[in-house]
Amino acid sequence: MIHLPLENPGTADSRSPGRFLWWMARGQWRTLAAGAFFGIVWMGAQAVMPAIIGRAIDQGVADRDGSALAWFAGLLLLVGLVQAASGVIRHRFAVTNWLVAAYRTVQLVGRQAVHLGGTLPRKVSGGEVVAIGTTDLSHLGQVMDVSARFAGAVVSFVLVAVILLQTSTTLGLVVLVGVPALMLLVGPLLSPLQARAHRQRELMSHLSNTATDIVTGLRVLRGIGGEQVFHDRYRRESQTTRRAGVQVAKLQSVLDALQVFLPGVFVVLVVWLGARYAVEGTITAGELVAFYGYSAFLMIPLRTATEYANKFIRARVAAARVVRVLALTPDHQDPAVPLPSPPEGSELVDLRSGLRVRPGTLVALVSEQPHETALLADRLGLCAPEVDDDVRLGGVPLSGLTRAEVRRRVVVSDTGSMLFSGRLGDRLDVSGDGRSVDRALRTASAEDILAALPAGLDTVVAERGRSFSGGQRQRLVLARALVAEPEVLVLVEPTSAVDAHTEARVATRLREHRAGRTTVVTTSSPLLLDAADEVVLVRDGRVVATGRHGDLLAAEPEYRRVVTRETDPEPVAAGTSGTTAAGTVEVER
Amino acid sequence: MSASTALPVAESRTVRRYAGRLVRKHPRMVWGALLLHVLAAVAALAAPRLIGDLVEAVEHGTTTEHVDRIMLLLAGFVVLQAVLTRFARYVSQVLAEKVLADLREDFVGNALALPLGTVEAAGSGDLLTRTSRDVDQLGWSVRMALPEWTIAVITAVVTFAAALSVGWWVLLPCLLGVPPLVIGLRWYLARAKDGYLRESATYSQINATLTETVHGARTVEALRLGDERVRAIDDDIADSFAAERYTLRLRTVFFPSMEISYLLPTVGTLLLGGWLYLRGDVSLGDVTAATLYVQMLIDPVDRIVSILDELQMGAASLARLLGVADVPDDRTATDRVPDGEELRAQDVRFSYGAGRDVLHGVDLHLGVGERLAMVGPSGAGKSTLGRLLAGIHPPRTGSVTVGGVALTELPLDDLRGHVALVTQEHHVFVGTLRENLALAAKSGATEDDVRAALAAVDALEWADALPEGLETVVGSGGLPLTDAQAQQVALARLVLADPHTLVLDEATSLIDPRAARHLERSLAAVLEGRTVIAIAHRLFSAHDADRVAVVEDGRIAELGSHDELVAAGGSYAALWESWHGRGS
Repeated sequence: MIHLPLENPGTADSRSPGRFLWWMARGQWRTLAAGAFFGIVWMGAQAVMPAIIGRAIDQGVADRDGSALAWFAGLLLLVGLVQAASGVIRHRFAVTNWLVAAYRTVQLVGRQAVHLGGTLPRKVSGGEVVAIGTTDLSHLGQVMDVSARFAGAVVSFVLVAVILLQTSTTLGLVVLVGVPALMLLVGPLLSPLQARAHRQRELMSHLSNTATDIVTGLRVLRGIGGEQVFHDRYRRESQTTRRAGVQVAKLQSVLDALQVFLPGVFVVLVVWLGARYAVEGTITAGELVAFYGYSAFLMIPLRTATEYANKFIRARVAAARVVRVLALTPDHQDPAVPLPSPPEGSELVDLRSGLRVRPGTLVALVSEQPHETALLADRLGLCAPEVDDDVRLGGVPLSGLTRAEVRRRVVVSDTGSMLFSGRLGDRLDVSGDGRSVDRALRTASAEDILAALPAGLDTVVAERGRSFSGGQRQRLVLARALVAEPEVLVLVEPTSAVDAHTEARVATRLREHRAGRTTVVTTSSPLLLDAADEVVLVRDGRVVATGRHGDLLAAEPEYRRVVTRETDPEPVAAGTSGTTAAGTVEVER
Repeated sequence: MSASTALPVAESRTVRRYAGRLVRKHPRMVWGALLLHVLAAVAALAAPRLIGDLVEAVEHGTTTEHVDRIMLLLAGFVVLQAVLTRFARYVSQVLAEKVLADLREDFVGNALALPLGTVEAAGSGDLLTRTSRDVDQLGWSVRMALPEWTIAVITAVVTFAAALSVGWWVLLPCLLGVPPLVIGLRWYLARAKDGYLRESATYSQINATLTETVHGARTVEALRLGDERVRAIDDDIADSFAAERYTLRLRTVFFPSMEISYLLPTVGTLLLGGWLYLRGDVSLGDVTAATLYVQMLIDPVDRIVSILDELQMGAASLARLLGVADVPDDRTATDRVPDGEELRAQDVRFSYGAGRDVLHGVDLHLGVGERLAMVGPSGAGKSTLGRLLAGIHPPRTGSVTVGGVALTELPLDDLRGHVALVTQEHHVFVGTLRENLALAAKSGATEDDVRAALAAVDALEWADALPEGLETVVGSGGLPLTDAQAQQVALARLVLADPHTLVLDEATSLIDPRAARHLERSLAAVLEGRTVIAIAHRLFSAHDADRVAVVEDGRIAELGSHDELVAAGGSYAALWESWHGRGS
């Protein structure tokens, strides 16, 4: 068996679904060919079984020849063993074919996701890509899997037809024409059945979503009520799904009956003709038994061919989805000739907003609307959807550099930052040197999170860091960004979900930690703003004021409003004392 | 973080009893389906017998008329078998759908009746797995595996009986197949379930890693984690490959052993039958019919065997689904009625599971209509205290009472009327915004009630701006709400539910700080006269409250009004100072 995963999945032909499937098949042609070979041997062995039994009855039993009987019984045993052996080898190749196709698809899509980076969520919905991981990979695998059996089906069909033709031209023709005709007879029933089954599947998945919805919100339902409403809703949907299932059963049972009836009629036809020949003496009794066996056997290749057609259609749909993802390109294409990278310690300037970030300082960005500073933060790191020439590092537009170079020098940690699953220590140690993690955890005031974990850094993080609370996750994400130790670190609302005690600690430690390197923080927390070397107030995408936190509080009424959240007139019944936070500050200052 | 408790799994006795009850619930359909399947299987047996007669007749010389008669009879049986199959399949499918609907509805009903403490402690992971994977697995088992298996068993039994009807000697070659069948099957089944479970777990893992990589694509790019993600995916594939190889090895042993157990009886029947014919003990027709019957046994036996592991997994899923009903209720309701609305905690100690206490003797008394803010470093026990004050867990020692009655003595419906908890974990149900809000309203919320509740949490403006206003479908698959909006919805629900005491555990943490303070104030206006315990991480929330409790290391370290605490110069005062930029 070959070794999986492949070292390198290669570059797929993503021009069309058909080409993709062809590319995939070409890449695994050896195992496909081997699977087909053993598929042919396997089904061929099955195909000759009736002939052997027929001969045994004819030449052994009917002719009362004991040694001939023993010889044919021995042959039957041998062919049976060949069938068993080739069957399991065929199966092994089929599984390999399945696995190569499925794993390769995952590798391709994973690598493409990594290549696209921030562009991916903007171009295609996450669910679409995830569907590749859940259903499409198995559809692509199946078409490769079934191909070996399909080859066997075609060959064994021809084999049986030739045997029959040699015995009797009429019988041979009846089989050759009859079997495909049977396939066509079932055809008209298939599409309404598929439509009903499709509706049933939709209802089932809807029902499953409802159940998931109820369970996810169980805390709410048990906490404040509404169980009966939701149980009734589920019951209604469950009954609708059940009725859809009954509709499917109506057609499915007819199809099941046809699968008994049509081969049955075919068997009757073949045996009838055979029996008349036997009466005339054209064929022997044993051959008659063989005919019966053939006509029953032929249903297997017939079913396999139908299965292959179905799987192929599904694989094409799956391939279409994979191709759509693989054909995407990143928003920021690397320039053909990148500009020379500016020296370390260059000033970061945004011409559009008028922001200047002096190297080695901690700068805080504030705006009335948080998305304004978030967008500015994205632009500072070439992460915004629209690529512009206005952001310059040491005078060089970021768009003139390669993506890799920009990421090396500027890191933007946004609010949607994902904490990946795996060993905590590994997930935090993005620089790979293992030394800076402890210091970063201290700076992010995350020591208590670690202390509460019995396995410490060896703890396995759950998917998307779900085992941690929002505030814990935020601190771990901050620590991870610090470990990266980039020349310029841009943090978007790094402490919004953290309690005030902790935030106060983070604010002072962050400054020490990043001493000598450039750090930009978007925040509206006084604790963090106070720690910044420079605070920049942004309105409508432009810098409107710059200074120290204390100075701006005193001098800029707009800044004071934004930072102390006294944006609106007091609600009448707010019920607080006359001294507001802002008021206290003003008196104290 | 609380200790996670796994939900119980039902014992096999319970599972059998439940299955028995389901069968007795639909007796006519069960017996009807069985009878139809038996008849269909019997009709199928005509072919080998008639072919045997035909061979016999041909061998001894016969007329075309006789052949035609036999073949017409055969055609008649084919029609009969087809018609019986149609109805047998239909009835059993309808039955399966009925049983499945009963099963899943019972499960959701049981899940909805889970004790509050269990829901809060167990988290949703285990229950979610049962809801999605086990319900799916069971659906597959009941819809496909169980009917197929039943049919296969009936067919096998009937066919075997028919083979024996040819002569008792047929039993001997059939016995030849039993040892490889039994040994192979036992060996395989002992390993298959774990092997396939592990295999399917590796696919979940591949999918999880891929999902993370896709949803976190931006983070991957920003922190240059590309190589690491690619490695993670390849590692998952390597695990999956190992699991696949294991099950493939199982099948590599199992499949041939099955094939041999099918082959031996066929060869044996032919040999033995031929020998008996040579001795003149049986007719040629008997040999033919017996050989064909034995061959006919292969298909149903193969189906019985190959569906077994599917049924095994179905039974395991059923046990997990039924297990949800086995969770003991953690409240023992008494008929004591609270006298008043005063909430009081006395010498409260608490630990999750057996271990060290997270609360060490907390005393707290809240006046009616008082607003208390709880602050303190993370991990100090604020959320735990909040849960105890909301009556979700009973204290290990000490008491939490409302109007003199312990919270855990109140029936759940009554408790909700007194105290409600909103945490930062929120959930928007699939449905209209109005449905989402009204689910807890005491007596059908009016339009005005709903709008007032939305206004109280500063959400009316965006709610009105939704494409279809309050009738807009939100939640998963509908219009997505932001985290902040979801928190507003959670708070508006609480306003409509209208308990006299509210515990808000960081209930506004995901709302932008600039908007949160305004929200808290307008909410406070609506909740005037209600007792509010707010666990807060923003100091302005504390500043706006009547009293502030600083929780440190499972104790209330400081308690008093904002001004008192600032004047006292303790840890709260220090924090407040630094919040105003004087600490550094």
